[in-house]
Amino acid sequence: MIFTGIEMLFFSLGMLTATSIMGAYYYNRQYRFKAATWLALALGLFLMLFCIAWSVSSVLEGEPRAASMGMLIFGIPSVLLLILARRLALKNVQKDTK
Amino acid sequence: MDSNKTNRRNFLKLGGVSAAVGITAISAIPQKVAANKLDKKITGDLVKVHDDFPVEVRADYKPPRNWDHVQARSMFVDAVKAIGEDVEDEIVADGQAFIKKMNYAYDNSKVGYNQADKALLAGAWAMNNYAAGPSPATIGDFGVNSWEQRSEKAHYALFDNDYVVKKKYKFDNKQQAADYIKRAARLFGADLVGITRRDKRWDYSKFLNPIPPLLRKPLLGPPSPEQLEELKFWGPDKFISDWSDFPFEPKTVIVLAFEMDYEGISASPSYVGSAAAGAGYSAMAKVPYQLAVYLKNLGYNAVSAGNDMGLSVPYAIAAGLGENSRLGQVVTYKYGPRVRLAKVYTDFEFVEYDKPKSFGVMDFCKSCMRCADACPTKAISHDKEPSFDPTHDNKDNAWYNVKGVKKYHVDAKKCFKLWGELGDDCGMCMASCPYNKPDFWHHRLVDSITAAMPGPVHDFMREMDKMFGYGNVEDPSAIKKFYSPKGKSYNGH
Repeated sequence: MIFTGIEMLFFSLGMLTATSIMGAYYYNRQYRFKAATWLALALGLFLMLFCIAWSVSSVLEGEPRAASMGMLIFGIPSVLLLILARRLALKNVQKDTK
Repeated sequence: MDSNKTNRRNFLKLGGVSAAVGITAISAIPQKVAANKLDKKITGDLVKVHDDFPVEVRADYKPPRNWDHVQARSMFVDAVKAIGEDVEDEIVADGQAFIKKMNYAYDNSKVGYNQADKALLAGAWAMNNYAAGPSPATIGDFGVNSWEQRSEKAHYALFDNDYVVKKKYKFDNKQQAADYIKRAARLFGADLVGITRRDKRWDYSKFLNPIPPLLRKPLLGPPSPEQLEELKFWGPDKFISDWSDFPFEPKTVIVLAFEMDYEGISASPSYVGSAAAGAGYSAMAKVPYQLAVYLKNLGYNAVSAGNDMGLSVPYAIAAGLGENSRLGQVVTYKYGPRVRLAKVYTDFEFVEYDKPKSFGVMDFCKSCMRCADACPTKAISHDKEPSFDPTHDNKDNAWYNVKGVKKYHVDAKKCFKLWGELGDDCGMCMASCPYNKPDFWHHRLVDSITAAMPGPVHDFMREMDKMFGYGNVEDPSAIKKFYSPKGKSYNGH
């Protein structure tokens, strides 16, 4: 292999981070996020990226249980926060259209 | 069309502009300055640098002799008895069982103790056994750790640089000297290097060595009549030496740490775990000797040492390699307790000395106790606070404990008993320690958070460490993992 697992991980994380920021900006132009939406979205995205970084690192170091726990501890809250962010964004749009 | 709505073209434009601004901003900061500032900030917040030795030492503290050590006393029982001191039968039996099993035994039906595991152990320890011999049991002045300071090349040797050259090399300044010495140590194979002043408190006050000088290292030529005479009249009256017999006055001690294999130590207790320790001991028999020869070629006297000459843990603390811990071993920032320590004594003193550092280990140890829980013989203290004197069951006859230093005192006799039963050097305390992790970014992050957090959070961190599956001991799957070709997949292939 040319690149190590950890090099591939951080390259991918860079791509995902850039995509997330651009995606957030794109949807903000569409849905006009409020502070609460931004907070939930930022925290959710951060936790999601951290969950990926943690779990892949744990697999690379040969600790599958730490990877599963990482998904549980960081992954589930991140999904919940992203769902919350989506609901808040849609709620704002519904309010604005009324 | 809504002017606020971003079309694809604007979106890409914005991405491009943001990236350009970001790159310009980052490149505008001189990278070195930014890295130094960040490093200084993190170090200042989490790592405390001490001007003095960071552990309390009572006024009545006395340095031990090298045979105030369970292994030395047990394995050199005849010599200790010959100089008129008693040895408890119990530790003699434990030592003999340990030597017998470690040298001759394997069991193909027992995971981690079969012939292949035994062969791994034998290979791992080979360089120590050949070059440094009894150094692990604190007996020095043997093989590569010889005290001899020759002033010229050995007559019969083809290549020989192991002598003190006449002209002393002059470094521009003390920092350059420290940088050169540390770089040399790293090149030779040390994982961590620290430089501290020689401190007589941490040196053995006297040395027992029953091996006749002629037999302590390979002969470089035919023995002289004086050497043969010395061999003829060798006896217990010559077994003990002290610092007045040492060939020079040491001013500086260079402390080296060697990482032990993570998967190997995780397989503790087993011959695989012991092989990881043995590979560390073999590195201790190579690198300090190379560094001693380096110093001799700079024109200074130098003697390498493993466990002999002095107490490695306080020297490592003084040299800034790590912090004291409940399990009695130094906990380093990068490898936790999973290191072996060695030293080089020299009279070179024009060097920038390191300062002791702490990063919250002793605070964490107060609540953690994973090592104490993992130890089957209960040799490791469960006390909340460290103490000047041992508090364990054998405290009234704890001749092997260093008294007067505020620390957690390990009952070495109980520990050694398990060595005799297993036939290897256990290592479960190291394997269970939450600071024992592979060198990955997320562990350094957790360690930093732990250092920054107050005591009650430490209990939570300990439980999380368990839940995440770290620090398991007596785990047969650890042996499979050690041998698995995938085990090292993060190491660049």
